[in-house]
Amino acid sequence: MADTSSETFTLVITGAPYSSQAPQTALGFARAATDAGHRIARIFLYGDGVHLASALSAPPSDETHWPKEWAGFLEHHGIPGIACIASALRRGLVNETEQKRYALPGSNLLHPFEIAGLGEWVEGRMMSTRTLYFHAGG
Amino acid sequence: MSTLIMIDQPPYGTWNGREALDMAFSLAAFDQSASLLFTGAGVIWLKRAQDAAGIAQKSVEKNLSAAPIFGIEAILADRSACQRYGLDEASLITGVTLVDANGALLDQYNHTAFAG
Repeated sequence: MADTSSETFTLVITGAPYSSQAPQTALGFARAATDAGHRIARIFLYGDGVHLASALSAPPSDETHWPKEWAGFLEHHGIPGIACIASALRRGLVNETEQKRYALPGSNLLHPFEIAGLGEWVEGRMMSTRTLYFHAGG
Repeated sequence: MSTLIMIDQPPYGTWNGREALDMAFSLAAFDQSASLLFTGAGVIWLKRAQDAAGIAQKSVEKNLSAAPIFGIEAILADRSACQRYGLDEASLITGVTLVDANGALLDQYNHTAFAG
């Protein structure tokens, strides 16, 4: 039996907020894991999961703002949150660098999320004892 | 660390499979052992002579044929899913190995993942 007293996790979120429960379930897991003394190495947003890093989400005030909830959690714990650049560009999620590169009318990446390549996922797997995936399901 | 990336979605109705393929290529690019397993409706990816021009998409066949060049170790297809979708060795692209997608197969890998 592997020693599970202290794990290091990489969490991959592929489901979008408000169309799937993936970001919410992942945040519940991340909070429980850090409360139990485990470490989250990084969060990697892939596919539709990149919508979680949008600074332009404006849900009704009586609904949880999942991008802000996640951003607050990442900032509080100093955990990198990375959106896959290929997934992000296809879906209209860009930072200022990509805005300039593609001459787009605006940028919308929520702080502290960053945009980077799949190499961050590969590296996250190598530095973690476990990598978990949160999909949209269905 | 050996990784099995699984694709269980058909090639043109969803983007998940293409993003799964990118994950596999990315692992290979970083010299990590990676193989692909097609199961369920995902086996349609492996059909020979696809033409997706009618739906204004690019055939995934070209993406897949690059897999060995990128260093993907194996392209596996679930035998029973192939039967269900009427695919035999003559109708599959070259380089596909038919397997039984079961626990014994997954046990051979340290890490398994779907793209969505």
